[in-house]
Amino acid sequence: MRKIPIKFTINGQQKEALVQSNELLINLLRDELYLTGTKYGCGIGECGACTVFVDDELVLACLTLAVTVDGKEITTIEGLAKGKELHPMQVSFLKNAAVQCGFCTPGMIMTAISLMKENPDPSEEEIREYMRGNICRCTGYTQIIKAIKEYAHNMKA
Amino acid sequence: MLEQKEHKFDILGRDYDIKNIGKVTGEEKYSCDINIPGQLHAVILRSPYAHAEIKEVDYTEAEKMGAICIGPQDVPDVIYNERIVSIPAKTYRDRTVFPKDKVRHVGEAIAACAAETEGKAFEALKKIKVIWGEKWEPLVTLDDAMSPDAPAIYDNVFLGEERVKISNNLACDRNIDVGDIEEGFKEADIIADETFDVQRVYHMQLETKSAVCQPEADGGITLWTTTQGIHNVRILLGQIFSIPLSRINVKRITLGGSFGSSIQMNSVTPICVALALKARKPVKLVTTREEDMYDHSSYPLKTRLKVGVKKDGTLTAAHCQVWLEIGGHNIQAYPYLGCVAGWFASLYRWKNLRYEGKAYYSNKGPACARRGYGSPQVNFPVENMIDILAEKLGMDPIEFRRKNYVGKGEEFWGQGPTVRSLIRSCGVEEMLDRGAELIEWDKKSELKNKNGKIKRGIGVARGFHTSGTGGPKAGEVIDYSGATVKINEDGSVDVITALMDHGGGTWEAGAKVAAEVLKVPFEKVSIDNGVDTRTTVFDVNTHATRGVYCGCGAIKYVAEKVKEMLLNYAATLFEDRPENLVLALNEELGQGIIYPIDLPEKYKTIAEIADHARINSVGTFVYTSTLRQKNCPPCFITYFTEVEVNTETGEISVPRVVMMGDSGTIINPELWKGQILGAYALGIGLGKLEDIPYNKESGKLNCNGLITDFKVPITTDMPHTDNITVEHAHTYEPTGPFGAKGIGEAALSAVASSFGNAVYDAVGIRFHKLPITPEVMLKALQDKNRIGGKNKDAH
Ligand code: FES
Ligand code: FES
Repeated sequence: MRKIPIKFTINGQQKEALVQSNELLINLLRDELYLTGTKYGCGIGECGACTVFVDDELVLACLTLAVTVDGKEITTIEGLAKGKELHPMQVSFLKNAAVQCGFCTPGMIMTAISLMKENPDPSEEEIREYMRGNICRCTGYTQIIKAIKEYAHNMKA
Repeated sequence: MLEQKEHKFDILGRDYDIKNIGKVTGEEKYSCDINIPGQLHAVILRSPYAHAEIKEVDYTEAEKMGAICIGPQDVPDVIYNERIVSIPAKTYRDRTVFPKDKVRHVGEAIAACAAETEGKAFEALKKIKVIWGEKWEPLVTLDDAMSPDAPAIYDNVFLGEERVKISNNLACDRNIDVGDIEEGFKEADIIADETFDVQRVYHMQLETKSAVCQPEADGGITLWTTTQGIHNVRILLGQIFSIPLSRINVKRITLGGSFGSSIQMNSVTPICVALALKARKPVKLVTTREEDMYDHSSYPLKTRLKVGVKKDGTLTAAHCQVWLEIGGHNIQAYPYLGCVAGWFASLYRWKNLRYEGKAYYSNKGPACARRGYGSPQVNFPVENMIDILAEKLGMDPIEFRRKNYVGKGEEFWGQGPTVRSLIRSCGVEEMLDRGAELIEWDKKSELKNKNGKIKRGIGVARGFHTSGTGGPKAGEVIDYSGATVKINEDGSVDVITALMDHGGGTWEAGAKVAAEVLKVPFEKVSIDNGVDTRTTVFDVNTHATRGVYCGCGAIKYVAEKVKEMLLNYAATLFEDRPENLVLALNEELGQGIIYPIDLPEKYKTIAEIADHARINSVGTFVYTSTLRQKNCPPCFITYFTEVEVNTETGEISVPRVVMMGDSGTIINPELWKGQILGAYALGIGLGKLEDIPYNKESGKLNCNGLITDFKVPITTDMPHTDNITVEHAHTYEPTGPFGAKGIGEAALSAVASSFGNAVYDAVGIRFHKLPITPEVMLKALQDKNRIGGKNKDAH
């Protein structure tokens, strides 16, 4: 199959790649760029583990064709911390024991950050509604919700 | 009432947020994240049939495309059981890497291809020709499997070294008698006899099973794979592929959840190894969600429970019969039947009991352990029954439980009939009292809305799990853990263990225990990855809620030996006797220090002493050993669930819950809560959402591998954070490390039971079958109305 050249920015760095027309973003990230923080949980948009930002918009990397990120800016979980300094949402997750096995965590954090951009002061119901698509099998969500609430609270202060 | 003595700790019981950083930055590596230059990607050919004879698997055309392929003809004839936690004499063996004669469930692996890309491997896979022989109708329910004219799924299997005949698809059975139930039932004033069904569910751990295998020049292999026990994987691979264990190195690596699904060596592991050995190249194999759903699930349990009780609430006898439908392989039905007996026997003082358990093969994905190992499944019948009897007796359900629970000084069957120990710590009373207070049990009737469409109710249920599988005598289950503890030259500490962490905080607990013994700041202890079967000593498996009690027990034992070495050497420096020295944590210095008693100003830091030992060529303070715990203390839980039933839609929500847990000393407070909270969601899944039925004609999963069709709890299924209360009992387990016992599996045991009891309280319908979906609820409400709104049963 013919490969298509694409250019994009990933976590602040310019990159080029040759991709097949049917190649998925999740595979480009995980198998070619070795950004394995983006997780495969289902491959069909049901779990949220592969959530990343493309031009500040939340997308599921398992449902996104790699060719569509041409000219765009991608942020994955690896792009959140500034050097050693963690993103405050990452800190909030750690502080609230919102991380157990950690497999859902990257997708959870990306989605939570997106929620904060759209709605900096959400009610608990709004948080729960927004995070519906992200499955966690370990935590029962409570500490995740608390982490997001605490983050919102700290941002307000 | 409170057993907890004044125990002061420097490190245990504090929360630290430094662990898990890799999990929030995306740097944590799971098996599926391992990439080796030059690796091939593998895919698996799986059976579309539930029960069919394989005549031939021909992959000539596939190999012409440049792929490396394997089929039944390429894998060793070794018949094994992928779980080797039980002793060999009690382990049934019925499988090879690929089936040699016939497939026994849809999705069973029959061949595999590896190529430079997954795409190419898939192309090659399409070229594999399978010639099928006779096909049989799929047996997808217990009744199908038990039917006298059902096709035989096996003719014979092995039990230990012995070949045993399989008749009527009966994989194994277990019968236990204590006392005389006939006499017991004669003494009873009231007898209840009820049947319950708890469904098969899929683990749905977020990480699917995977393996990466690198063949080594010496004929050995290095392997990264999803497992709860790296040593058992190594032993099995050694047996299957005849490679000495010294040439097999299984890396310990983080698990993306497991819930019991990786106690056994996962089916992809030997396939990946066989491919790598044939290709002589590294091979990576990651399964899809759909493949994973066919690969493992929990055991569904059907129970008939008959219980006798006197008017004063004293139990006189119980007869418990259970039936399992186990899928196409017998991974652990035998120990599971034993454990179900044990959970049943240890819940209440039945006085006389009879247990009869039977396990049947079926044409479904093989069932295996799942968090609780049969406890949630048998807890549901028992805790429903306790409420049924309390109602018949006119007794408060809490009072009735208080009168009959098995507690301190009594025997707990931690792992079936052969692993029993005396209960030495028990928070049941405290939890019943405190939980009732928190949920306002005495105001329960005020909640009820008699006329509106929303009905409210509160239910209580209690449960437990064992902490490990150790008894005074070694039983049917192998149980010991090992550790190496080493003081580094700067006073920091390495803990090297094969213990796994499924996310519950076992590693953090292990590091804390070592830090507590050696009085080293938590930050200076590493228990991190980078270890493997070559660098660690044996650890049976991180299962059975044994991580803290057994695994950290071994770490404590070993750390104490190192402490002794350290103090002995320090004594030579202080020219004093070791018993005259004090080892303490100095938080200001961020160091452990040693000083002669009453002379704290004369201290030396552990770093100074360790480096002194280096400079003077004395040696390293290090010790390696294993420890077998000789008890299996129960960690108890008691949950109070409030439900709201919408009688128009049939939906049940949980507005409020109080959860009490008894783990002795709490080592990781927030993660401990996390175990309870996470388990609650799993239990709500069991109670009202999850099910994984197979189609009768095709033998395929009805949900087609879709999570949304299988239905797991999502954010909106849990109560508001303000309405969830989690507290712990104040107990101290004298045989545990610093008084600690487990929590993980206990946390799930009584969720669905408290939910079911609450639903009964709300609508007066006793549901005997899970899940209680809106459709099930609506139908039951209609049936109830038809009989004039009297309390009723729904089967
Ligand atoms: S992997 Fe993309 S949503 Fe599950
Ligand atoms: S922490 Fe394991 S799935 Fe969320």
